[in-house]
Amino acid sequence: MILALVLFAVWSGWRVFVVDSMVRASFSLLASFVAVGGAGVLMSASYIGVATVFMMAVEMMVMAIFMVAFMMNPAGLNPMSMVHQNRLSMAAGALAFLGLSAAVLTADLPDRPVPPETRVVFDLGLELLGPSMLIFETAGVTLLATMVGAVVLSSQQGRFGSADEGSRPPGLTENGEPAGRVPDESGGHHMHHGGHGDHGGDVDGASDHGQGHDHGGHHHGHAAKGDPS
Amino acid sequence: MAVNWLARLAAAAPAPVFTCIGPGIQAAVERLCLSPALDRVATPRAAAILLVAGEIPDHAQEALDRVHDQVPHPRQTFRWDGTGDPEPALRDLWRDLAAGGDTETDRRPDAPPNDWCGVGPHGQGGKGMMGGTPYGRPMAMTADDPRDGLALDAYTARLGPFVPMLPPGLVLEVTLQGDVIVSAEVRAAPFAQPDDASAPDFCAARMLRLVGLPRDADRVARGARLRAITALRAIPEGLGRHDGQDARGRLAGWLAGERGPEAAPALATLLPGLEWSEAMLVINSFSPATLAHVAISKEDA
Amino acid sequence: MILLLALALVVTLLGGVLVGGWLDRVVAGRGAGPLRAAAALAVRGSVRTEAPDDLLQRLAPILYLALAAVGLSVVPFAPGAALVESPVGIVIWGSCEALTIIAVFLHGWSPNAPFPLIGAYRYVAIALPVMLPSMFVLIAAALPAESLSLSAIVESQRDIWNVVRQPLGLPLFVMVGLTLTLRGPMDYADAADMAGGTSAEEGGGARLAWEIARLAMLVSVSAVAAAVFLGGPLGPVLPGPVWLWFKTAAVMALIVLAGTSVTRTTPSRMLGLIWTIVLPLSFLHLGIAGVLAL
Repeated sequence: MILALVLFAVWSGWRVFVVDSMVRASFSLLASFVAVGGAGVLMSASYIGVATVFMMAVEMMVMAIFMVAFMMNPAGLNPMSMVHQNRLSMAAGALAFLGLSAAVLTADLPDRPVPPETRVVFDLGLELLGPSMLIFETAGVTLLATMVGAVVLSSQQGRFGSADEGSRPPGLTENGEPAGRVPDESGGHHMHHGGHGDHGGDVDGASDHGQGHDHGGHHHGHAAKGDPS
Repeated sequence: MAVNWLARLAAAAPAPVFTCIGPGIQAAVERLCLSPALDRVATPRAAAILLVAGEIPDHAQEALDRVHDQVPHPRQTFRWDGTGDPEPALRDLWRDLAAGGDTETDRRPDAPPNDWCGVGPHGQGGKGMMGGTPYGRPMAMTADDPRDGLALDAYTARLGPFVPMLPPGLVLEVTLQGDVIVSAEVRAAPFAQPDDASAPDFCAARMLRLVGLPRDADRVARGARLRAITALRAIPEGLGRHDGQDARGRLAGWLAGERGPEAAPALATLLPGLEWSEAMLVINSFSPATLAHVAISKEDA
Repeated sequence: MILLLALALVVTLLGGVLVGGWLDRVVAGRGAGPLRAAAALAVRGSVRTEAPDDLLQRLAPILYLALAAVGLSVVPFAPGAALVESPVGIVIWGSCEALTIIAVFLHGWSPNAPFPLIGAYRYVAIALPVMLPSMFVLIAAALPAESLSLSAIVESQRDIWNVVRQPLGLPLFVMVGLTLTLRGPMDYADAADMAGGTSAEEGGGARLAWEIARLAMLVSVSAVAAAVFLGGPLGPVLPGPVWLWFKTAAVMALIVLAGTSVTRTTPSRMLGLIWTIVLPLSFLHLGIAGVLAL
């Protein structure tokens, strides 16, 4: 049973690089993680196994959304290759494999089976809130701070107005000089946001790449089978 | 016979109808669809009967044919000119269709509008992993976002004239990033409807359907009172402000029995920046009589 | 015993789907009963969209239905008798919730059409944050039981039901249920403002499979709510399964009713409500439950 799950995990992991759509790749990876979680459950790590499924489901969902949102790749219409930077990836993969193999071979792995009456979840909780508390809490708070920081830095809405207009805090005295650092005019300016008027052709997407000019019929084409016009 | 039994069971269900409404007949169709014998479905793919009401103008014929071809087999078109009660005929038609009766063939060729002209080992075309024009359809590419600066894919599509949540006849060309409308152009104005389509009850019912209250929409369209809670507060304050009144205010007016504003809104400036559901609420917060005068955007190159 | 429990699970899902379809009809006041509606879908064909992702399109309703079944499998039909008697029952259910989002996303993604895709995007944006209150509510229920097992949670309600002890729990969980079953105020996937959203390109048998899966998930989420807040199979005179069925049906009716009588607001506003009101509320709920459990 464990062997079947592990083989499935490897197979679906391999599928990630073979399929031609980002959504399929994401969820192949998820299937791989689900199989690993199942193997974990069978090895008496019930909480960690099931939590793997739970966490990975959410993570892969977010990953798929972001990949599609920035690189449109419709279901069956436009197949795309899932591999790039092959040499670097191969080297990194080989290195990781060797490193993990070495770790498995040299580590002193426990080999006695877990007695069925062990309260594994209870023990895990004691470990997390006991000896390992400092590690997990530090890691958790660091990750949270990173996420909040990333959102704050990437958001256009600054605390004192829109970021691309050089938002500045109010003065310390009434009508006084703005407090804080004077924004650098050349660095922070976003080139494309000059006018908020008619974006016209350049949001259409087609004119961004040279070969898009021969598709006069595309606006009408959209409506063919895909939408209830 | 098992099939026979299934057909009889299906025939007892309301007839699934997709409506294509022409000029001057909107109120009559909406009144007809209040009948428990009919199920007005949201998409032609869930229908069996295509109800074509009134005279569809020539410029909308091609769209009508497209909608027709999306109705799954077995399918039938039913034309209605607004006179008499078509319900018994529709019911008979549905009974025939449920038993696998005659169907209609496609009116348009079921083929991509352009040939495959992709390039690259996977035919994906475009630069690197993105873009390309498979079958002459430009893939969405990232573009500046009006809201938060995240450069998401922009996608342009033409909607109408028979989308159920837009007034019949209205054709909108929208560019979307996710569900945010980046630009909206009116390509055709809604078909002219007489005053009965702009009755407050019907206008309110259309909006209530959008916010997930089909039962209350039926009630209000029949002249009864609204029962659901938070119907007004669910519509954001200040959404679609026009002539000093927002969408919530217009719905409140309709629920109180008042007719909506008369001055036509400029949809091309009102919609950009809104999310899809907000935009649908804004459009439906104007009565058909108001929208009939909506400005048509000039076709740009 | 296992066979009997598996049979109980299948019977509960099948019966629950029928009851759910009937409730929908009664509460909506129109439409057809479950059997007629199913037949009306079954006799119709469906039209393929252009270049859909066929594999994922077939997988989506199957995954949805399977998640409903797995979720139900951790619910005890009698005290201490669930099909999957796991020490981490509510975490298994939580995984089913998270994977449900993926099933709905795949359903919207695979037809390769604008409305389903927008529906899928919107749903993910709303449903992911809803997972947080769901987790807090379930963890709060686990505190008095001192266990993540659903059987232990049921056992901890012998004296007093969680719905009384933790009054905020059930309302918050009904919101989760509305999200998981794509209903009413939380239906950002299959909504009317997008001509049916993720189902906009679907008819016939595929639509039927999707609707059955939705109803099955309604049964599952209601059964979990019945076990976590209403003492599940506990009750006098009648056998455990019967009590569970009654309570499940009651929660189903509550969810269906909430789905038709509460208005759906716009997604961005709902997102704000979830993060600024529902999430702090569920945190408060967890805090109170924790103090009471000490």
